Amino acid sequence: MLFAEPDSSILARRDIIVAALARLVPGGTITGPSGLAAYDGDALTAYRQVPLVCVLPETREQVCAVLRFASEERIPIVPRGAGTSLSGGALPRADAILVGLSRMNRILEIDYENACVVAEPGVTNLAITRAVEGRGFFYAPDPSSQIACTVGGNVAENSGGIHCLKYGLTTHNLCGVEMVLSSGECMRLGGKSPGSAGYDLLGVVAGSEGLLGIVVEVTLRILRKPPVTRTLLAAFDSVPAAGTCVAQIIAGGIVPAAMEFMDRRCIAAVEDYCAPGYPKDVDAILIIEVDGVAQEVLEALEHAKGIAHGAGAKEVREAAGEAERARLWTGRKAAFPAMGRLAPDMLCMDGTIPRRALPEVLARMAEMADEYGLGFCNVFHAGDGNLHPLIIFDVMKPGELERAEAFGGEILKLCVEVGGVLTGEHGVGVEKRDLMPIMFSQSDLAQQQRLKCAFDAAGLFNPGKVFPTLSACVERGHMHVHAGRLPFANLPRF
Amino acid sequence: MSRMQIQSDAEIIEAVSAARANGSTLEIVGSGTKRGYGRHCAADAVLDISALTGIVSYEPDELVITAKTGTLISEIEDALARRGQRLGFDPADWGPLFGKPRCAATVGGVLSADACGSARVRFGAARDHLLGYRAINGFAESYKAGGRVVKNVTGFDLPKLLCGAMGTLGVLTEVTLRLVPRPPHNVTLIARDIAPDDGFALLRRAWTSAFGPTGLAYVPSSVALSFTGFGAVGEGAALMRLEGAPVPLAEKIAGLRALDPGALLEEIDGERTFREIGNGHALVGMDADVWRVVLPPSASARFVAEQQPDIWVGDWAGGLLWIGSAPDDEAAAQKIRSLASACDGHAILLRASETMRSRIPPFRPESPTCTAVSKSVKAAFDPFGIFNPSRMYEGI
Repeated sequence: MLFAEPDSSILARRDIIVAALARLVPGGTITGPSGLAAYDGDALTAYRQVPLVCVLPETREQVCAVLRFASEERIPIVPRGAGTSLSGGALPRADAILVGLSRMNRILEIDYENACVVAEPGVTNLAITRAVEGRGFFYAPDPSSQIACTVGGNVAENSGGIHCLKYGLTTHNLCGVEMVLSSGECMRLGGKSPGSAGYDLLGVVAGSEGLLGIVVEVTLRILRKPPVTRTLLAAFDSVPAAGTCVAQIIAGGIVPAAMEFMDRRCIAAVEDYCAPGYPKDVDAILIIEVDGVAQEVLEALEHAKGIAHGAGAKEVREAAGEAERARLWTGRKAAFPAMGRLAPDMLCMDGTIPRRALPEVLARMAEMADEYGLGFCNVFHAGDGNLHPLIIFDVMKPGELERAEAFGGEILKLCVEVGGVLTGEHGVGVEKRDLMPIMFSQSDLAQQQRLKCAFDAAGLFNPGKVFPTLSACVERGHMHVHAGRLPFANLPRF
Repeated sequence: MSRMQIQSDAEIIEAVSAARANGSTLEIVGSGTKRGYGRHCAADAVLDISALTGIVSYEPDELVITAKTGTLISEIEDALARRGQRLGFDPADWGPLFGKPRCAATVGGVLSADACGSARVRFGAARDHLLGYRAINGFAESYKAGGRVVKNVTGFDLPKLLCGAMGTLGVLTEVTLRLVPRPPHNVTLIARDIAPDDGFALLRRAWTSAFGPTGLAYVPSSVALSFTGFGAVGEGAALMRLEGAPVPLAEKIAGLRALDPGALLEEIDGERTFREIGNGHALVGMDADVWRVVLPPSASARFVAEQQPDIWVGDWAGGLLWIGSAPDDEAAAQKIRSLASACDGHAILLRASETMRSRIPPFRPESPTCTAVSKSVKAAFDPFGIFNPSRMYEGI
């Protein structure tokens, strides 16, 4: 079972709770079945749960008031940004208040002198870049859901994206937060000056998956947009050769802005779907993007081309102009929906491995696919070793879902076995919760749970997420896509 | 005070178990170069981890290194330099500042004190480079956190918390750090005879440019002579370090020059100068209390104008000011601390007498809410208060 039985004493008090929240957040409480149906999950669509009640505060004072109330009444809280989590981070509970931050969506300050933006948590990721690009700046973390996902959610999940190879994850671009604790008290961490006075609590808040508090304000670092960006496509006759190319580029001292991998099956699916003009009849392609000042880009690109040829690339092509560059990326960004057309169901994995292990892991995944008798493809952020294998299956065929889940679990075990981790950017949530013991020992997990208790002794924030329960031992670790219906079908996924 | 020279994780576990059993406390010491940093630590025994040494694995192709925490930073840097790599946060060597030998700092000590140099402005602090660790907590349990890959969101990011925690959360025994390539060349552009407000404005423009400077410092005339590499500076000098292969480097130099065509930017070899700035060199051997004032970069000129310190150096495009103040001068200390707060920053008293540090908390006190959380965090790692008691704050 995903969660323990809902607390019946909370369910019994629902009317009183709803009335209290309506007083605390006038006009911001969703209580009816049709309204709540819109909030019954996130982008991990395998799981659905209608929340006890949903509240949409507009101010930090309202957030504080809601949390004070929840704390006094001992009602669990599930925080939610835009609900684009791929690991079930915002999955509601029947006995918990869902606190949606989408109405706190104002940019409060743009400070070019100190290269930062202060914003409420419900502002979308892309809106930060939109607000500063006129002055030549951008906000670096770029998760694929960036047109919809919120910066508060990004902090919770420590979101990455295609360009985090060079620019880091959210945590490396986060200067400060104001957060509300389970007591309803507000705490400011970090700010415009580099570093904090005491413990680096900001460092653990980033990526805490809503288990420590609710962020009501963020201060984000903005960067100058690089003047030149150029993109290379390298095609290979063998998957290990492409893996070797990736490892040698990193070892060669090149820091590409992005380095993406697609295998034969994925290339074919994408060509059918949107015809980006990738080379035909190859086993793998790499899209390598380099940015910076002109000469820097030129040298890195020449260096990368040499490495690609040395690794046995069949073709190395540079995008001639902006239009071709955009087309190369269109194909990469269409990988998920394109694969989704090949079978009714799809699982998306998210492990990270040391880059040198790429050839070995790719080869072993192909063997496993044969053993499990399932189709799969590989598309991933190769530069930082972040794999997104997509397993395709049909949930209507007896045993296929179980085989797919077992296959996915095997892949993640392999990632850990070669020195990698269970999740590179999607988070643990409920999806990989029960796989945590593969990577962490009992004492490793105990220490993390003690930190959780230091912030939230009553365990009110997002219970049932991240940490495995004793009874659960189901292998999960994937995004489930049914009948080609991608969660947030209009969002790119890469 | 007794001293335990430990050789292995198992011996640490034994020592911590014993401390827990008899209610005693431990001061964790590597080379001891920074023992004067933080509140005075009155522990019952010293846990000396300086023999816990060695590079466990170094994978240049992976840009990752794992080392035991007693390993000297200088040993790690030598190994990295041989493969054209380095630690991005420019680990600082504060030994001489505390009257200790240079090049003696251990990796565990540097991470625990978050001792970052000038390149922090570009690559981030120590915490941004620590991927994972193994440690012994106050339950005498060995545990690990983080991982050995650059992209990882599996569980809480405890490595960030342990950086800068001054050893109050446990004994780090093994750390995995990410590395950055070492570009083949670097050059420093110097703008001489530039006033602090203009100098900092220039540094901020360089910081927010696309040219990626890896050092942005301001040196006023009063301390310029103590640095190697440049002579007379008039009112003061702004220094900007750029790195890269020769051709791109030339383009970046031209780019920075174009930011302020009025300023005459001369090329010098600033390699040693920037190391000296990060090490607080201007204040070594000087009879002064030493502060590191962390500010929003745009506030540094105001801070300097209002504080009027005799001895100071700016780094991190103005995000950091090194300040020397009269020894044991509590009134001056209060002024520095309150001005830093007024500027939306905070001041760390890095070096002062034991008496002074008992009167002026070395780390700025946090809000009551934050203090309560910090105490809970301390208790989550060290519930019996064994490690470095009250080194950061009273009870923490």
